[in-house]
Amino acid sequence: MRALLLRRLITAIPTLLGVVILSFVLMRLAPGGPFDGERALDEETRAAMDAAYGLDLPLGEQILLYIGRIVRGDFGPSLVYRDFTVSELIAQGLPISLTIGGLALLLACALGIGGGLWAAVRAGRWQDEAIMGAATLLTALPVFVTGPLFVLIFALGLGWLPVSGWEAGSPSHLVLPVVALALPFAGAIAKLTRAGLARALNEDHVRTARARGLAERQVIARHALRPALVPVASYLGPAAAGLLTGAVIIETVFALPGLGRYFVQGALNRDYPLVLGVVTLYAGLIILFNLVADLIYGWLDPRMRAE
Amino acid sequence: MMRSRLPLLIVATIALAALIVPPLLPWTHSAIDWDAVRAPLFSPGHLFGTDTVGRDLLARTLVGTRVTLAVALAAALVALVIGTAWGAIAGWYGGKIDEAMMRLVDGLYALPFMFVVILLMVVFGRSIILVFIGIGAVEWLTMARVVRGQVIALKERSFVAAAEAAGAPPSRILTGHILPNVAGVALAYLLLTVPQVVMVESFLSFLGLGVQEPLTSLGILVKEGADDMDLQPHALLIPGGVLVLVIVCLTIAGERLRDRLSR
Repeated sequence: MRALLLRRLITAIPTLLGVVILSFVLMRLAPGGPFDGERALDEETRAAMDAAYGLDLPLGEQILLYIGRIVRGDFGPSLVYRDFTVSELIAQGLPISLTIGGLALLLACALGIGGGLWAAVRAGRWQDEAIMGAATLLTALPVFVTGPLFVLIFALGLGWLPVSGWEAGSPSHLVLPVVALALPFAGAIAKLTRAGLARALNEDHVRTARARGLAERQVIARHALRPALVPVASYLGPAAAGLLTGAVIIETVFALPGLGRYFVQGALNRDYPLVLGVVTLYAGLIILFNLVADLIYGWLDPRMRAE
Repeated sequence: MMRSRLPLLIVATIALAALIVPPLLPWTHSAIDWDAVRAPLFSPGHLFGTDTVGRDLLARTLVGTRVTLAVALAAALVALVIGTAWGAIAGWYGGKIDEAMMRLVDGLYALPFMFVVILLMVVFGRSIILVFIGIGAVEWLTMARVVRGQVIALKERSFVAAAEAAGAPPSRILTGHILPNVAGVALAYLLLTVPQVVMVESFLSFLGLGVQEPLTSLGILVKEGADDMDLQPHALLIPGGVLVLVIVCLTIAGERLRDRLSR
């Protein structure tokens, strides 16, 4: 297990470097730059600006300088939010995005595993069909449809919850964004849990447990559930990536000042350092999350640790 | 039998309507009816009403569906071609080549894809062709894995050994004997890729990074509807409903085909 983690860590670093270099080169290939505003700058001012931000150096040198700086946690100045560094913007936005993403992941796991379990226990009956049908529907619901729809129903229609905003993370402002973000992942997790449990219930050690006369409830809780959750654990990596991208939409729909909104603004305004910083950070987070998923994997299924 | 074909039938009907109906309507998707701004549902001449600047929502929804489906199909085909070629080569040659090729796929899987696509949009401008090339180029990974698995399994079969014994060159065995047997599973995953791409395209268009005006797509319509939903909820519900229906039906059809073939 330790060897596996070490190997993953060793491949994670070049992956991250690859992302940074690729994004950097792509950004520099772009026609037009951050100083191309409505008013054309004269040559001297432009040259001075380029020099100030290091845009006049050769590409290779720029990349090395950039990597050197981000290792120290300095993502450079934002080109659009002039008074802020990218690190400051990340420090402002990341906690909000992580709160929403983390809560949504917890909710998705709770709903998904619960629903999947219930469906598997009632396999073949109407509850099973209903839950699996709902799960398929949920996975197909894009957050940019459910988000506005929830606002329409629960905020504008019924008036139960606020329409949008953050308000220092007050719970009532969190409900709609978190639920809208969590639902598609809850559906996917329910499907995986249901399939995993059906497979686990056919395994030898479960048959042995049944032969020993354990109650079905105990068979599932003690022997079948852990191996059944292995596919769920391996889904956590892609789910984390999906939650981060979904959060971009959710933050736009609900006007939340998270990292995703800065990213979209940065992308629309060609704010290179901001976009690069967020992509690097997200790639790092996703790689980190895949490592955590591997750990959970090993804990769930001891056979994986041997490899 | 009826039940199993229903999802595809629904998608086919929607696609056909999106293709045939718009030229028959009195309004194009971008024409403005100055006399009927924000017309409600079922107004005379505007079955679905009009949007905030008086454009016919029925025409807009149909044209948007057409654009969304066309982009999705094109991107899914790009993914099919790249994924099948990549997976077939990796699976057929095996060993170090396989290891290197699939390691790359694993690495790419770990990336925040939507961000790479957005990066591409930012860099190369927001053109519809780039939208689908960009999406197709990142959606091929699953296809590559699936095809590779299939090819490895088929490689051991006796008809491949027979073809080899008869002296057929590897390229012929691959194209003539193995790929035809992969086609069914590849088709199932093509069906599953289309809704994925629909989702990505709508996502980008919703943020203003995908399809651009005057062209429209379901993502743009959902965005416009969401901006005006307090006054005209149906402007959100209709395009959103079509979008969800298409995604659900294609997903169900794809999953059924996949399950039937893997049994």
